[in-house]
Amino acid sequence: MIVKKAMHEALNMALREEMARDERVVLLGEEIGPYNGVHYVTRGLYAEFGKDRVIDTPISEESFVGVGVGMAILGQRPVVEMMRMDFSLRAMDQIYNHMAKIRYMSGGRLSVPMVLRGPEGPGPNPGLTAQHGQQLSVLFAHCPGLRVVTPSNQYDAKGMLKAAIRSDDPVVFLEPGPLNNKQGDVDDGEYVLPLDQAEIKHSGNDVTLIGYGASVALCLQAARDLERDGLSAEVVDMRSLRPLDMGPALASLKKTNRAVVVDYAWQSYGPSAEIVSRIMSEGFWDLEVPVARVCGKETPLPYAANLEELSKPTVEEVVEAAKKLKL
Amino acid sequence: MMVSSGWMCEDGKVPMSARPQQKLASPPALERRPLDTNTLKNYLRQMVMVREFERLGEREFKNGLIRGYYHSYAGQEAVGVGFLNALDLNRDYVVDHYRDHGHMLLCGMDPKRIFAELFGRSDGVSKGKGGSMHMYSPENHFLGGDGIVGGGISVATGVGLALKQQRKQGLCVCFFGDGALDTGTFHESLNMASLWGVPTVYICINNKYSMGTSVERHSSLPRLVDRAQGYGISTEQVDGQDVWATTEAAERIFRKVRNEQVPYFVEALTYRYQGHGIHDKALNYRTLEEETAWHERDPLKLLTDYLVEEKIASRDQIEALRAEVVGELEAKVEAAKLGSEPQPEELFQDVTL
Repeated sequence: MIVKKAMHEALNMALREEMARDERVVLLGEEIGPYNGVHYVTRGLYAEFGKDRVIDTPISEESFVGVGVGMAILGQRPVVEMMRMDFSLRAMDQIYNHMAKIRYMSGGRLSVPMVLRGPEGPGPNPGLTAQHGQQLSVLFAHCPGLRVVTPSNQYDAKGMLKAAIRSDDPVVFLEPGPLNNKQGDVDDGEYVLPLDQAEIKHSGNDVTLIGYGASVALCLQAARDLERDGLSAEVVDMRSLRPLDMGPALASLKKTNRAVVVDYAWQSYGPSAEIVSRIMSEGFWDLEVPVARVCGKETPLPYAANLEELSKPTVEEVVEAAKKLKL
Repeated sequence: MMVSSGWMCEDGKVPMSARPQQKLASPPALERRPLDTNTLKNYLRQMVMVREFERLGEREFKNGLIRGYYHSYAGQEAVGVGFLNALDLNRDYVVDHYRDHGHMLLCGMDPKRIFAELFGRSDGVSKGKGGSMHMYSPENHFLGGDGIVGGGISVATGVGLALKQQRKQGLCVCFFGDGALDTGTFHESLNMASLWGVPTVYICINNKYSMGTSVERHSSLPRLVDRAQGYGISTEQVDGQDVWATTEAAERIFRKVRNEQVPYFVEALTYRYQGHGIHDKALNYRTLEEETAWHERDPLKLLTDYLVEEKIASRDQIEALRAEVVGELEAKVEAAKLGSEPQPEELFQDVTL
């Protein structure tokens, strides 16, 4: 049955269902227990499953990610929360050198079936500033051995998180911070979604808007605005950054011959750069004009309300970029 | 030349740090708890195998068959022999650091497959994709060396936590060097292990040098056990040259950890004969006098002298054993050389694309 839920509630449903299904699923993280999770994703789970399944950790990111790695090697299914994905910078040795590589370094003799999840980007609340609201997805997506996925809506969030927990690969599950408290449709029944497939979220013929995570919402709003101006935009939700499924975007380009890539992350070397590069090598002859990008401005996230707004990609910028491609 | 005279005793021979200043749980050498003859002979064979493996490995490194890094365990054998023989590898696990060849052998891994990995062959432990520091053998409950100083300490904490959750009465042993005490993750991990009652034994192999930096130059406290005492867990120093001492400590500590489901920290005092890696030739950070003093308390020599004095074995018999072990290892080296390189398509296997 389809119900209206906030993003964090959809994620919570996924965790609860998977914990009930498989006792090997164990949660680790800061304030995920009695505090109920800073972004509410683990709300009620400590009360329901107890302290051995919902483990509050000290503020020791590197080491509790390593604990997750060790548990996963021994066959548990740890789901490790980063209160903010920014804090994973503290844990990069474990993420890059252990979580991602042990399967390869062991010649496939070990696997690390764990999930590292948490919110990234400027939200849900404003004013997160430079060390709490970054979009660091590229750091994970750069590293072979990790699956890196990010849902753009509540329905996908639940189905993809369940799939991530069941995956034998280590998965970095990036939750779009700006959408954390937003309501949307979720199926309260059992379902699992693929971890490696992009999806068309809105059909159109004139221009392709490509995003992932929170930027898909910008693309969808831009598509609605463009429609009022007589332009039909198609919206592609990449959903997975590693592996990157270019199929739907390239198919869309055959129709529209124009693309705007929208990303909360910084433009230089970011996921948008990789997407554009793939378009250049695999879809170049379908392009009528160069691909445009609308990204986070290349500054640390500032505090003042007006500066923060200026720093983020906006619907207006997407609309403007799309219109320019049609001139 | 860097002189680390702080490690020398007044008599200039036995390093002070091998004579723990505080009361040791293990008895002094003369009051050794006896080990039976078969055990001692078995230990001798194991120590000889580890020592000779490293000698052959060093030779093949110089011959160009082994690439990258090679960290020799020579000199530290009594630590591995004492602690690993006391494990029950049906239920216990080992998480190691980069100086791992000796520990792999002592966990029962086939020297041929270890050499094959060192030679980058497809029948190596990690199919030729890991190398010296990255071998894993789940069937031997050996969960890897690790190339990052301190990198395995939190992993071993997770392994211990999983064992506790799975109620398997198993424990995890984690080896690392003195330099690892300077990483944040050591302190983070001990804190969590104590909080959660994790059955992991953290064994710091204090061989006096964090690469080329002596303990006195890298550690705020000279006794490393003192740095582990802020977490409410049991700690102790053990004489890492004396296989009786490591055996006694290991059996007692593992019993406590298994029964009480608590972590434990051990500082094993020992010395590495080679540089940090075989490529580290300079060794200008330590003195010949210091090296000589440690060689006088060589773990293999202590055991050999005992066996001879007690007439358990003659020097000729021990030499014959050494020759036999070398012969076996040489055959393993030759067999490993015959292995094929990994197929090119192996490059993209064992990783999701």
